[in-house]
Amino acid sequence: MGALDTLLDHPALWRGRSAIPAPNAPVWPSGHAELDRALGGGWPRGQLIELLGAPFGCGETRLLVPMLAACGRDGYWIAVIAPPATPWLPGWQTLGIPPERVLLIRTEHDRDTLWAGEQCLRDPAFGVLLAWLRRPVETALLRRLRLAASESRACAILYRPPDAATQPSPAHQRLRWQSAASGLELHCLKGAGHWARSGHPLRVPEPPEA
Amino acid sequence: MAIDLPHLALDTLARAEPDRERLQRPLLVVASGASPRVHAANRAARRAGARPGMALGDALAVLDTPELVEHDPDALRAQLEMLASVLLRFSDHVHPEPEAQRILVEVGRSRRLFGGLEALRAQVRDTLTELGFHPRIGLASSPAAARLLARLRNPAIAEDPEALRLILSPVPLEALPLAAATREGLRAVGLRQLGDLLRLSRPELARRHGPELLDLLDRLLARRAETLPRFAPPPVLDLSLRLEHEIHATATLAFPLKRLLRQAEAQLRGMNRSLQGMTLELAHRETRTRLTLERGQPGIRADEWLPLWQTRLDRETLPEAVIGLRLRAPRLLDPPARGDSLLAADPARRPPADQLPAVLARLRARLGEQAVARLINRRTPRPEDAQRPRHDLATTPAPTAPTPGQQACGTALWLQGPEPAAPPDQPQWLGRLEDGWWDHGQDARRDYACARDRQGRRLWLYRCLRSGQWYRQGYWG
Repeated sequence: MGALDTLLDHPALWRGRSAIPAPNAPVWPSGHAELDRALGGGWPRGQLIELLGAPFGCGETRLLVPMLAACGRDGYWIAVIAPPATPWLPGWQTLGIPPERVLLIRTEHDRDTLWAGEQCLRDPAFGVLLAWLRRPVETALLRRLRLAASESRACAILYRPPDAATQPSPAHQRLRWQSAASGLELHCLKGAGHWARSGHPLRVPEPPEA
Repeated sequence: MAIDLPHLALDTLARAEPDRERLQRPLLVVASGASPRVHAANRAARRAGARPGMALGDALAVLDTPELVEHDPDALRAQLEMLASVLLRFSDHVHPEPEAQRILVEVGRSRRLFGGLEALRAQVRDTLTELGFHPRIGLASSPAAARLLARLRNPAIAEDPEALRLILSPVPLEALPLAAATREGLRAVGLRQLGDLLRLSRPELARRHGPELLDLLDRLLARRAETLPRFAPPPVLDLSLRLEHEIHATATLAFPLKRLLRQAEAQLRGMNRSLQGMTLELAHRETRTRLTLERGQPGIRADEWLPLWQTRLDRETLPEAVIGLRLRAPRLLDPPARGDSLLAADPARRPPADQLPAVLARLRARLGEQAVARLINRRTPRPEDAQRPRHDLATTPAPTAPTPGQQACGTALWLQGPEPAAPPDQPQWLGRLEDGWWDHGQDARRDYACARDRQGRRLWLYRCLRSGQWYRQGYWG
């Protein structure tokens, strides 16, 4: 029995039933207690997370502001790759995100977006990566990104259109967001914790206005 | 230490040649003039009977359609000076002799640092071989003796005068740099080897064959010091490579470029300098293409620069065939302090605050300079022109706090150019921006608001107080 316990404690072992992330896995705070619990402590670092939904501008970036602020406070860089609009950095700065740590990368193709993301993840200076994909992409490219994310200490967020949900993806977690009456409604399509199994959506209210 | 480079012309050609096959064919380097002569011949040509110094007509008679390349003394001189800068890492006293295709290096003071003369010689040989040259190295306590041993390919190392004398004694007199008359005179009295000469009385020799002979003997045996000027390297990096065959594809450029980068690395190591950016000029028949590359951190290693250049070149399409490469770096930096790499490997450590991520160079090489930027606050109130992208990432901008005018616009996240929009249902008012009231007709008085549209988007809007029209400035989040 003792031998079995040691075996089950092995960190490389993933158990389907009770697989919550290790309690000391590095995370960025999500700023929302329920979401923190559902994600297993916060936005996990070293994982690739897909956020599926449309249209742009429903508050899916604001959802990440506590993470971006924590990342900037710690002196890490934030890569913003191929966003559909220009970041309004004076606004970001008021929310606590240092603008000199934000790197804006424009690309012409989704392929370049994924390549740039992978390169950034391989650099230890980056803490958060935000990338936007416009069209469906090859799974092989996503798998490269997942590999780079799991070897990094950054949280890689990939925004994709909602119809990508029908396509399988190698991402660690997939969340679908929807605009709700006040804030966002998040469904977990894929993940390791109990949230994914329960199938219940999570309502994240709009943060109180500063 | 004397380093003879008898095949300098051929080595220089081979370095530029990506195709190994071509080197197997007979090749002649021809010194042009009234009567063209063969300056150098490769192994295939020599096997067929061509010799350096032969008239070109004779060589063409024995060879079956050899490749002919014109001899360029200036290029060889530049090549030799480049090698002299490389050798500066072994000693501060280096003296190139372009006429003899030889470089002399004073190594007496460096031998302990490099672990003895044997080890030093091996390192010098490895360094030069890696660059594609075939050196013959002679080591002795005097420059003259070192020159002689290098020419004779004698690997002996003499530590004291008596040993040097023993090594030099069996050297035939033909090998000495003597005037023809003196050589003939010595042969006439039956002297064959240097040892015979050393046994004779000095006044007698001087009387019969002149003081030059004694002078030579003294220099050979290090009885008389020979002072050589020091070589001072040029303060910039400027390396060029002429391609003997045109290159049409960027992928093929990697081979000659690798050679150039290796050479740059060796030269910079010798000069103890580093660099952060360099320019590559691709010479075409008529025009040139100039490409520049900047990195986040200074570095000289060819292994790091080559992938960067490859990604950079992948983006280029060559307008014409390339016939030459030139690598330049106008600004050389002091080398980085050693020792910090010990801690840098720790992934848990925070990134240094003032250092740029190393990945930037790769991103810019593939996506272009314009694609990677930081946004700088211009401190003007109107959001649509308050930010300016800055592509020069080397300098960290001073952090600017948002101005009160910018704060009045609210903490929206995404900006777009203002577009006319329908009046919202329930605007949440944010603040009022008044700008340009001093500038007639250009004033902007806006009430900012945030509202939700039917699709669920959180819009960032303003109402122009002058016209009452609503505009969309961006997205709230």
